[in-house]
Amino acid sequence: MLALIGNELYKLRTIRTPWLLLISQLGLLVLGIAGLAIHGAAPNDPLLPREMLAHAGILSFFALILGVNAVAAEYRHKTITDTYLAVPRRSRVIVAKLVAYSGVGLLFGIASAGVALGATIAWSAIKDIPLHLASDDVWRTVVGAIVWNGLYAAVGVSIGALLPNLAAAIGVALAWILIVEGLLGQVLGDFRRWLPMASGQALGNLPGDLLPQLTGGLVLAGYAVILAIIAAATSIRRDVN
Amino acid sequence: MAELVIRHLTKQFGRVRAVDDLSFEVAPGEVTGFLGPNGAGKTTTLRILLGLVRPTSGEVLIAGQRYDQLAQPRRVVGAVLESSGAHPGRTARAHLHVLATASTVPLSRVDEVLDQVGLTRDAERRVGGFSLGMRQRLGLAGALLGDPEVLLLDEPANGLDPEGVAWLRRLLRGLAARGRTVLISSHLLSEVAKTVDQIVIISDGRLRFAGHLDELGEPSVSVRSVEIERLRTVLNAGGFDVRPAGEGALDVRGSSAEEIGRLASIEGIALLSLAEGRPSLEDAFLRLTGSPELLPRSAAN
Repeated sequence: MLALIGNELYKLRTIRTPWLLLISQLGLLVLGIAGLAIHGAAPNDPLLPREMLAHAGILSFFALILGVNAVAAEYRHKTITDTYLAVPRRSRVIVAKLVAYSGVGLLFGIASAGVALGATIAWSAIKDIPLHLASDDVWRTVVGAIVWNGLYAAVGVSIGALLPNLAAAIGVALAWILIVEGLLGQVLGDFRRWLPMASGQALGNLPGDLLPQLTGGLVLAGYAVILAIIAAATSIRRDVN
Repeated sequence: MAELVIRHLTKQFGRVRAVDDLSFEVAPGEVTGFLGPNGAGKTTTLRILLGLVRPTSGEVLIAGQRYDQLAQPRRVVGAVLESSGAHPGRTARAHLHVLATASTVPLSRVDEVLDQVGLTRDAERRVGGFSLGMRQRLGLAGALLGDPEVLLLDEPANGLDPEGVAWLRRLLRGLAARGRTVLISSHLLSEVAKTVDQIVIISDGRLRFAGHLDELGEPSVSVRSVEIERLRTVLNAGGFDVRPAGEGALDVRGSSAEEIGRLASIEGIALLSLAEGRPSLEDAFLRLTGSPELLPRSAAN
């Protein structure tokens, strides 16, 4: 299994996709924090640094897309045939991908959190606003953002395995985030806090009417596990044509 | 002992029966051609052999085991399918490195197979810039990585130039000579006839022929004459199986050229040509698969 995980990491190292996604994530992160610095709440609003840091979690969408690529891009580039020929027990392939991509998702989260912290510190220095780096709120946001990235990468792997058409998988993920969960939330009322996006936002310590952070993280992890089981089960049965 | 055993294999895709109670065996030490018209079920059969598609019923065994029971499958079976590919952003070497580590094959094999397929100079290039022929060679390199006992190749000559096709033929014949089992599917019948020893022909998912190339059809004599009608009467009277074979020509079975020549001489019929032969693979293929529409030239006969 370790060799398989290593193989997945090697595959990621030899293509440009993860770098392009990471650069996009970090670029938008800086843009988002700059936007808050220019047009956000009053500079001395105690919530502002937390909102800035939370962007590292919000942009975990890119970790999700990375995860979607794990299986769906293998179908797209027809490498899935060789992957399954080398390892006929497909559940092992899916598990290796889940572990490898979750790890890389965490790295995306660490890079994002680092950049977000740096940008926030720079902003506080320029504006001469004291930043309480040791505060609970700051670290809960940073750690939440990192874990959110890791879990979203895992969720992405499962989505890509369930929908091996890369465009369809990314489309479904986008539609869920932008439209479906919002509409579903209107129907569900208070239960909307338990949906995947909302639980991610709770984990990321975003302000709003959300679950407690730890509960949000556990709920999102639960979604990741359930999706992973369904993804592994369907991958075993699917004919590869 | 047969390396590949296909026994009562059936695969149903919805309402389409792609493979229908198919049984045949493939022996080591020979190159076997796996032929059939488009949609005959060749690729599905290969995919079932490789565990990529689940059969509806029946079984397929490689060296006595199901593919997913093989401990190190890529060391037993190497395969190039039309649907196998490489990530365009990866270099040829990185692609083979991925395959080698996934298959627990020593990395030293990467350089060996790159050399074997003639891609050493292009090893550091991204696959996205490769020609079809180079991709085909890369696919073969991947199949050869584990130095497997069995090679399954789906249309391996696709995209190769004539020199490449000749190279491939030597490679496959060399592997068979060393006791390996080689099964290739192809639609290039003349190329297949030059490369293979054994033939398996399927159509509509059913077996039409399995055996040596020489067993494909009984020998016949083709004869041309200016007095074709009189010759036909004479030969018919002699009890031979006579068929028209175009203008002024006959195809005769159950006789030899010598016998026909003597008969014609006795009757004073002038012959323009007289030759013994076997039906070409193409003719046999069309007869067995009943799909003359594929090749209009033969259908006219």
